[in-house]
Amino acid sequence: MRRWIWPSVVAAFAIAYPLLLSSPFQQRLGALVLLYAIAASAWNIVGGYAGQVSVGHVVFFGCGAYAAMGAYAKFGLSPLFGIPGGIVLAVGLAAIVGVPTLRLSGHYFSMATIAVAETMRLIVTNTEWLGAAVGLSGPTVPRNIFDLSFLSALPYYYLFLIILAITLAITWWMTNSRMGFYLRAIKDSERAARSLGAPASRTKLYAYMLSAALTSVAGALYAMMFGFVDPESGLGILISVKILIMAALGGAGLLFGPLVGAAILVPLEEISNSWLGGKGAGLTFVVYGAIIVLIARFQPGGLLSLLTRRGKPKTDTGASHAP
Amino acid sequence: MSFVLVQVIVGGLLLGAVYALFSSGLTLVWGMMNIVNFAHGDFVMLGMYVAYVVYTLMGGGPLLGAPLATLVLATLGIVVYFGLIRGIMKGPMLAQILGTFGLALLLRYSVFWWFGANFLSMPPNIVGGTYAFAGLRIEASRLLAGVVALLVTLGLHLLLTRTSLGSKMLAVAEDQTAAQLMGIRPDTMQAIAWAIAAGATGLAGALIANFFYIVPTVGETLGIVAFVTVSLGGFGSVPGALVAGLLIGVIESLSGYLIGAIYKDIVVYVLFLFFLWFRPQGLMGKM
Amino acid sequence: MTLKRVTGLLCAAAMSLALTAGAQAQDKVVKIGVIMPMSGGTASIGAHAKAALDVATDIINNAHPELGNFPLAKNAGLAGLGGAKVEVIIADNQGNPATGQNQALRLITEEKVAAVFGSYQSGVTLTSSAIAEKYGVPFLNSESVAANLTERGFKWFFRTTPIATDFAKIYVDFLADLKSQGAKTDSVAVVHDNTEYGTSVANTISGAFKEKGLPIALDVAYPVNATDLQGQVLQLKDKKPDVVIMISYTSDAILFAKTMQSLDYKPAVLLADDAGYSDPSFTKAVGKISQGVFNRSSWVVGPAGSPSAIIADMYKKKSGEEMDDTVARQMQGFFVLADAIDRAGSTEPAKIQAALKATDLKPEQLMIGYKGVKFDDKGQNTLASGAIIQLQDGENYVSVWPKANAAKAPMLPYKGW
Repeated sequence: MRRWIWPSVVAAFAIAYPLLLSSPFQQRLGALVLLYAIAASAWNIVGGYAGQVSVGHVVFFGCGAYAAMGAYAKFGLSPLFGIPGGIVLAVGLAAIVGVPTLRLSGHYFSMATIAVAETMRLIVTNTEWLGAAVGLSGPTVPRNIFDLSFLSALPYYYLFLIILAITLAITWWMTNSRMGFYLRAIKDSERAARSLGAPASRTKLYAYMLSAALTSVAGALYAMMFGFVDPESGLGILISVKILIMAALGGAGLLFGPLVGAAILVPLEEISNSWLGGKGAGLTFVVYGAIIVLIARFQPGGLLSLLTRRGKPKTDTGASHAP
Repeated sequence: MSFVLVQVIVGGLLLGAVYALFSSGLTLVWGMMNIVNFAHGDFVMLGMYVAYVVYTLMGGGPLLGAPLATLVLATLGIVVYFGLIRGIMKGPMLAQILGTFGLALLLRYSVFWWFGANFLSMPPNIVGGTYAFAGLRIEASRLLAGVVALLVTLGLHLLLTRTSLGSKMLAVAEDQTAAQLMGIRPDTMQAIAWAIAAGATGLAGALIANFFYIVPTVGETLGIVAFVTVSLGGFGSVPGALVAGLLIGVIESLSGYLIGAIYKDIVVYVLFLFFLWFRPQGLMGKM
Repeated sequence: MTLKRVTGLLCAAAMSLALTAGAQAQDKVVKIGVIMPMSGGTASIGAHAKAALDVATDIINNAHPELGNFPLAKNAGLAGLGGAKVEVIIADNQGNPATGQNQALRLITEEKVAAVFGSYQSGVTLTSSAIAEKYGVPFLNSESVAANLTERGFKWFFRTTPIATDFAKIYVDFLADLKSQGAKTDSVAVVHDNTEYGTSVANTISGAFKEKGLPIALDVAYPVNATDLQGQVLQLKDKKPDVVIMISYTSDAILFAKTMQSLDYKPAVLLADDAGYSDPSFTKAVGKISQGVFNRSSWVVGPAGSPSAIIADMYKKKSGEEMDDTVARQMQGFFVLADAIDRAGSTEPAKIQAALKATDLKPEQLMIGYKGVKFDDKGQNTLASGAIIQLQDGENYVSVWPKANAAKAPMLPYKGW
């Protein structure tokens, strides 16, 4: 059971973190790391394991965010009730979008996902019922605990931690199942996988739908925490890119890659913004951009691949993700 | 009414030519090296700033600004190739997105740091006003950009299909090892491709600066148009980018005039998705 | 082995977090947190605001007898707090509601600011003020116009700027006045982008005109940061409205001016709703081809030697730009907040809140052309107002309406270039 030692240590650290660093801003940063880790881990299923680089994942994020805020703003329900709705929307959309686009190869798939996400953003921006450009607000003065509108980040932190654990468990289970086996085969060579009888199209579609469902949960949680969603913050292409970058930076196709990416990028972004942002010289992004460039240049497989197998470029599957 | 439509279509064609102009560099590196350059829009932005600096410091118009922008960006292209691209080319596609997106932020906010966030603009009518004939009005600066777009497309196409440099570049794109065995140095060829692509992009920026505003974040606006143009035209196809650019320009113009501007991008994206369904390799791309 | 390193990375991240803590509160300093877009497409707004707040803190913290009875100018520091100095801590919202909220939390809990000021974009103001509300810290907004901001039942939110309903009324009255002088103003077109600012202001204006029995003849919406606006200008050229009301940010305002020139389109009356048309970048870039454009503004420079003229001068020295309406409204809002803290005589949130509620500033105590500052139960300034200015002879706006404080008569029709 040696393989479980380190996950336990990480889990223990994650549980204790808000007690060790207890200022509200630090707790919120912790919650944000977990939130982005959920989104990036969800993306990892299709982008990392299946090798289908979706740059439009924000569309599923938006499904969740709009469903949660819509449940409150349109029906007076707790935003929690939006989560199932968001999942249904996201999975349905993934099925509709996935069938035609997943057969596209490489960059065409990425471009198609961008086009889908941008179309959705433009439609929502011009839809009065969804708040158009103004967006939808959540409860600012909570009626009860189910409104999930807390002053402290602590409840969010532990909620996100539980969801992240579930997301990682699902991912782990998936990689060790027949589906994970097929995905690895497809990622290596789709043609070879097909010729060996792997149901490539179906497997990719299932991975895409699973990833969409989990991404929509991340979106719903995001909207609940900030109490607000608008087309830019719920469907903007930059969120897709951010999620993708976190997974890629930590190590796409590795179970803990997205978590590592989020644990580095979220604090980096928030702290550099806190230190440099007020000067108004754009230095935050000069630093941020430079660090990303350096990592891409010298560790193209993500940081975690440096730690797992020194020197060997990490282009293959996540077969050995498990410790 | 019909007369206005003619003006709309002509305007759309000119706009499309501009789209094609700033997309040709993207399609070249994308097709040749299978690299997605997320910093492409920011290359256009740099070209605009070079033209602006040339104008404010030396009082030079596009005659001086455009060649200088081409030169500066071509140099930058070589630097970027050896500094970044060569290292991430063999990595996974994700590393390319990561690297070029980081580069985009770095370029955008370095310019921001230096020039500030204010909107800048070349003086109106720097390229001789507007031509009017038979009620049709065509801005000289846009016409210039359109003509150059055609010339650049033609030039790049001839370069790739009719010259030995072009065939060497294509050979490297096709099969690096084989090209190497034939005595072609892939590094040199790819660096040249980056220089040409970035140079063309800088030229595009310098010409667009004549009728557009200049701001560090302008690359975001233009970059996404370039991406759609290139995918629609087929990655790597220079004539494809021209046809796709013109098509998008006219569709945007017509849908903007007829059904409302806020829907014109939706029309473009939906047509693009619809098109991918039937022709997943783009207008003129190879599978 | 993997996870050992993972833990290491997590620990490193955690340690860097620890470094952010520990901001020390100093005596005799009142910290005010400011949330502005310092990066992204609207970063020029943040840069201007930063320069304006530098000038404002200079006026508050040092003695400026030349400003006469202008509040807080006479002596150094806040008299109500024993001469305490005001310190501004600016945070970048990156134009993103989530970032704005994170920064509001940081300013309140880490920097321990006495009040928060911001945040330009209505969406960011919405999320960042929600945090201030939860913590019970006063939040003053001086430039976001979305109507819903003051409809949330907040107790700590105050807004000094006029909002869309106020300007709609100004436009209706101004056009009626022009009409009485013989101008043709019967058909009105509204051109706006599809942002929250553009759509909400356009809707309010359309409503106000309809109420007066003047339905809007043409509504032209376009996507923000457009690459091309020929279609929109041609639509206007086709329908020939008498009055065109433009609701645009700087990028599109510049492109509109250029496109109108190239397509040779001039409406009789071109009336802009602040925003892009007030940006000094706009007048510098295309002022020469936009002669005669009317614009809404609460900022009108007084005669030489008046506080507004002196402040405008100080601002120009600091930033190199002419003072515009947006930045003037921000600066005025900041003075209102500082004045309330001064009167509260304390940095205790509840006392500042009470002082803000009791605010009653007269026009002569302001640097801007409001009829005063007095907040209603929702926190909205009921005395906010504006005037109409026009770009005449070059790159400077002059006030033309209402007649009482107009420097020149309105020039008609729109001249263009």
